[in-house]
Amino acid sequence: MLEFDFLTPNRLDESTAILEETGGCILAGGTDLIPKMRNDLFFAPILVDLSNIDELSFIEEKDDQIVIGALTTHQAIAESALLKSTNPALVTAAGTVGCVQTRNRGTLGGNIANASPAADSVPPLLVYDAQIRLLNKAGERTMPLTEFLVGPGMTKLESGELIHSVSFSQLQGAWGGAFQKLGVRNGMAIAVVSVAAAIVLDASGKVSDTRLALGSVASTVVRSPKAESALIGHEPTPEVVSRAAEACAEDISPISDVRSTAEYRRHAAIVLARRVLEQAAAEARGRLV
Amino acid sequence: MKSIQATFEINGHEVTLSSAPNRTLLEVLRQDLGLTGAKDACGGEGECGACTVIMDGKAVNSCLVFIGQVQGCSIETIEGLSGNGDLHPLQRAFVEVGAVQCGYCTPGVIMASKALLNENPHPSDEDIREGLSGNLCRCTGYVKIVDAVRIAAEQQPRR
Repeated sequence: MLEFDFLTPNRLDESTAILEETGGCILAGGTDLIPKMRNDLFFAPILVDLSNIDELSFIEEKDDQIVIGALTTHQAIAESALLKSTNPALVTAAGTVGCVQTRNRGTLGGNIANASPAADSVPPLLVYDAQIRLLNKAGERTMPLTEFLVGPGMTKLESGELIHSVSFSQLQGAWGGAFQKLGVRNGMAIAVVSVAAAIVLDASGKVSDTRLALGSVASTVVRSPKAESALIGHEPTPEVVSRAAEACAEDISPISDVRSTAEYRRHAAIVLARRVLEQAAAEARGRLV
Repeated sequence: MKSIQATFEINGHEVTLSSAPNRTLLEVLRQDLGLTGAKDACGGEGECGACTVIMDGKAVNSCLVFIGQVQGCSIETIEGLSGNGDLHPLQRAFVEVGAVQCGYCTPGVIMASKALLNENPHPSDEDIREGLSGNLCRCTGYVKIVDAVRIAAEQQPRR
């Protein structure tokens, strides 16, 4: 492995000061970075290890917002009772990341910063219109997660900056959320296609709000406005849901790669979209009073 | 490249060592501490689980942890399981049912099983398969591995 200097700040303000001073690369769980460095796919002369910054590892409810610290592991998300009751799609997604060894080390911030179109945590965050909070030595900024993710491996994170946390509003009323992922096998699989959905029903059982996000079918995880508008104002009958799922094909641009073909991904995206929308709608109906 | 110092607990004993920072916990275990139970099988990709150790109570791939990240942590390896020469109940169960073929994956499988039973003392077969989904056995002997973990779990006192 190539040589680098290794810095271990103990406080958050020390971390941003070191990042500003050195322009070093952040190391969190290392599950993506270390294999990349070993295979010479990535090089950084200075690594800034955030292992000791415990204050970036948390899941909390603040006003009506759920806030998750960047260093929260996938396993902590998969086991969180608060997230199970507020964003079950994210809990399901976190439980599908790699294997338990990977989930015990890999972090939410790392999954986002890595900016893979197949990142499992991202679709469930996009369906909740998540915001991302970034810190540097001088201050902080917050932006929608969709804006932060620019392309494969590309984000708006600037040198000297770190991801502090991600936050989203809880859904209210008769809501349901779901996530499904298709991999080449059940365990340890990178997504061929992943889809997350949320549906909110009004008192008459019609869709008042809905979001659909798809992974591994475009250069970033994408929302499907076409599918969403096909549902709004309608009762989510099987026919309506099928039509909405088919509409998502217009919002995606899958490619062929080592894991699958564009054609198969387009087909699988429609099938998974229908399944998660049905699952979210059933859950939402269960909450209708 | 400045070398770094790391102090951590290994199988109950505190060690302090200095190392180049571009080495992993797995390399330090095997090359510096002589603990060769944890294996490198996939070339450091985190794909195979043969290097699984328990870090602060959680199963991790030691090939995906830089040595600097271990500072202040507690590490358990297969070598720490059999105190006074007595095999751990998991080890006994693996011997009993013959859940070992070539043996290369076994230390990692046992450490992943131990972490699983610590969190979930009475797992279903599905829980066992899920808990071991990061550990590959290329002799493909998973049935007996699952049997062994189930037997070890059954021997534990019910909560």
